[in-house]
Amino acid sequence: MSGKPRVLIVDDEERFRTTMAKLLTVNGLEVAAVGSGKAALEELKAKPYDVITLDIRMPEMSGLEALAEIKKINPGIEVIILTGHASVDTAVEIMKLGGYEYLLKPTSTEDLMNKIDAAYERKMTREQKGR
Amino acid sequence: MGFRQRIIPYIASILIALSAVILAFTGSLGFAVVGIFLAIVIFMTTRKLLQKLAAANEQKCFLDEKLIQSQKLASIGELSAGIGHEINNPLAIISQETEWMQHLLKRIGERDSKEVAELQDSLKEVLHQVDRCREITQNLLDFARRKEPVFQEVNVNKLIDDLSRLVEKENIRYHIEIRKDFQQDLPLVHTDPPSLRQVVLNLLTNATHAIQKDGKIRIATKGSENGSVDIIVEDTGCGIPKDHLTKIFDPFFTTKPEGKGTGLGLSICHGIVDKLGGRISVSSEVGKGSTFVVTLPVNQKKGTSQS
Repeated sequence: MSGKPRVLIVDDEERFRTTMAKLLTVNGLEVAAVGSGKAALEELKAKPYDVITLDIRMPEMSGLEALAEIKKINPGIEVIILTGHASVDTAVEIMKLGGYEYLLKPTSTEDLMNKIDAAYERKMTREQKGR
Repeated sequence: MGFRQRIIPYIASILIALSAVILAFTGSLGFAVVGIFLAIVIFMTTRKLLQKLAAANEQKCFLDEKLIQSQKLASIGELSAGIGHEINNPLAIISQETEWMQHLLKRIGERDSKEVAELQDSLKEVLHQVDRCREITQNLLDFARRKEPVFQEVNVNKLIDDLSRLVEKENIRYHIEIRKDFQQDLPLVHTDPPSLRQVVLNLLTNATHAIQKDGKIRIATKGSENGSVDIIVEDTGCGIPKDHLTKIFDPFFTTKPEGKGTGLGLSICHGIVDKLGGRISVSSEVGKGSTFVVTLPVNQKKGTSQS
């Protein structure tokens, strides 16, 4: 696997997304963070990303709504759901919408890094096969 | 049956028998014979009816209790899920901030200082406690989650045997012996295997905790004629005081030392067994041990287990 994954963090908790961005950056990733589903869609139209970490419960646009829109803009992007609100129904819905992984907060940076790496690897493999 | 109910058939029969005796003395022997016969019939019928009434009453009390327990569990379940979810978000921030501080301290630590090492140690402890909280919120969410069971034909003896092997390995160092006493021709049970595993594992773990060191656990299975199967977990542990027995399946009730249990295990078991259409009961004596019995319906599916 070559190159750094470009990661977009989407979470309405400001402190959470900024600290996570710092932690992922020191771990060698290229990271940006936004506070809503709408802002994420804007960001995706402006710049390319490989992996998104997405919160579920957010005001205005929920994580599930955002996930559906993200997949319309870029079906190849891998989305990791990172939430404190887990339920089997939501997990099923996420998989149906094409989400890659589902993580329950709180999670360690190490765990999240492993998931991001795996998601990035999957994206790269798929792109290579598509060429 | 209460005392009043018990004496009603006797009073009615005595009154009729007395009338018959009076009739016999006054010369109406035929009436007397009929009277005594009537007294016997009334005695038998009234007693039978009263027995049925008492049984129906008992059943009603049991169902009422079950309903109250289910309602209580449902509302506490909702509350637990809410708490679990709400705590997870601040926990995530605590965890991340701590990791960030650890990262910063590592950089400072390169210049070496005893205080930095102490701070690192404290932060490690914070993360350890976050993990503990995470476990609690996970338990709360498990408690609240209403997984619909997927029913399959299950060889209960085999399921328990596999689980007890796991526990056995752990128990060797505490000198706790597990004795298995399975009914060999036990019918297959129509139930949800992962849920049942959770219940049995919980009961075995509790039994181990109750014994702590040097003791015996007996795990047995027994089929009954009314189409149910009993799973019995018996331990020679510390036992449960009488006044705790009624609360033992209540959520958050625990006798374990602080930090050692959330008090959700048995209430989760109660909820699971209820969902599986069975019931769980306990009897115990302080200083001698406890016995938990899980009764599951076989569900009239035919077959025999090969254990």
